[in-house]
Amino acid sequence: MPNALTAAVRAPEAESVWTSPILPQPGELIVGLIAFGILYWVIAKLVVPRFEETYAQRTAAIEGGMEQAEKAQAEAEAALREYQAQLAEARAEAGRIREEARSEGAAILAEMREKASADAARITEAAHKQITAERQQAVIQLRSEVGRLATDLASRIVGESLQDDARQQRVIERFLSELETADPNQVRTVATPATEGS
Amino acid sequence: MTGNLNVIGYGLAAIGPAIAVGLIFAAYISGVARQPESRGMLQPIAILGFALAEALALFGLVLAFIL
Amino acid sequence: MRLRLAAGEGFSPPTTEFFWQPLVGDGAFAFTRPMLLMVLSVAVIAPVMVFVAKRMQVVPSKGQFLTEGTYNFVRNSVGKDMIGAKEFRPFIPLLFTQFLLILVNNLFEIIPLLQFPTFSRIGFPVALTLVVFAVYHVVGMRRHGVGGYFKRMVPPGVPGWIVPLIFFLELITYFVTRPVTLALRLMANMFAGTLLLVVFALGGEYMLLEGSNLFVRVASLGSFALFVIMTFFEILVGFLQAYVFVLLTAFYIADSLAEEH
Repeated sequence: MPNALTAAVRAPEAESVWTSPILPQPGELIVGLIAFGILYWVIAKLVVPRFEETYAQRTAAIEGGMEQAEKAQAEAEAALREYQAQLAEARAEAGRIREEARSEGAAILAEMREKASADAARITEAAHKQITAERQQAVIQLRSEVGRLATDLASRIVGESLQDDARQQRVIERFLSELETADPNQVRTVATPATEGS
Repeated sequence: MTGNLNVIGYGLAAIGPAIAVGLIFAAYISGVARQPESRGMLQPIAILGFALAEALALFGLVLAFIL
Repeated sequence: MRLRLAAGEGFSPPTTEFFWQPLVGDGAFAFTRPMLLMVLSVAVIAPVMVFVAKRMQVVPSKGQFLTEGTYNFVRNSVGKDMIGAKEFRPFIPLLFTQFLLILVNNLFEIIPLLQFPTFSRIGFPVALTLVVFAVYHVVGMRRHGVGGYFKRMVPPGVPGWIVPLIFFLELITYFVTRPVTLALRLMANMFAGTLLLVVFALGGEYMLLEGSNLFVRVASLGSFALFVIMTFFEILVGFLQAYVFVLLTAFYIADSLAEEH
């Protein structure tokens, strides 16, 4: 806006002492003081208190917000910790269950094995027993058979009837007891002389 | 050619404060360049030094108008 | 000084008379153009500030943000940092009022039609400085007592024979240098800046309208360009001078309050 300036400059000026740039004109000084006073009053009474109030409120709000954020963070951390604890617990439980199952399986296996071996033992035992029984039976049978045969043979050889039961029984008993006390190898040798002797 | 010798005198008198102000801000700039975080602390000091150095030029100005 | 670029009577550069613009009357109590601007600035600042303050919200709007940024700058960067967090509160209104008044009036220098920096007239800076002068002396005397205030001007541990000299220098600093430079700095900056703008504007106009040949007339563009550039520079100066003024005010107050000089 050069024109506004030039118009002001070109206007004819009365020569005045107040053109001096470092001589304060009293009017301007007074107006300056009054203007400053009014503005100061307005700022001090109406503006600064409100600004300070808002400033304090905002500080409080920001601090409150930060507190809240901290609380939320703490909560989140607690939740995370809890979750992790739960996870660890679940893992431990799963491990325990697995371990249990494994040990149970092992126990079952061992039990089965034991049972099987017991069965096997039992079967073997039964077989043994049967065999023993059969052998016993066979021995008893054999004994009576041998006795009969021997008696028959002896009666035939002696020619004398050995039908007398009592005597016959006695002879057989003696023979067999001799047989039993003697060595199996000697049975034959003893038997032979016995047979020869009788 | 007409003019006022006072103005030449003032021009000469302003050389000193001009150099002083230049030195003050040079020191301020290199200080901030070395340690940017010190800016907040250096700024008022630099402005105060600038104001003090400028006071000499202002006295020159006053004398140029008075004499 | 006359510049011979044209056939006419020549170019007369603006003088200090430019700043004396009485509107009503003449003499010591004439109503001048800067007075009108000063009244206008108060009439603008006060309602705007009250309006903003009334509608203050915790979450700021755009306009509030700007005002509050200015307020926080003066409050924290100047008041709190210079005077100290304990004692700066009573001085906030003083600093804020000064800053707003100086800033708005400095910006008047480059607002079209207004185009006059109020503070280039020494009366207004002197008015503000008188307030500052009174404030820092009263505050210092209240804190240390009248005797103590003068006593602490001399730092302890100074040899006896040099004490009067230092006391004298400090007295001059407190009562002459500080107020005088505070007022003059503001006035001189606005004065010089405006004079520069007027020179470029008038010079350009003169060269354009009355140049003796085409070259001179075209060269006026350079003058106008510098006018525009200096206008932007003056915005910066306006802000800087407002800042320097409140900073120095805060510094003087802090210095008066301090236990040791």
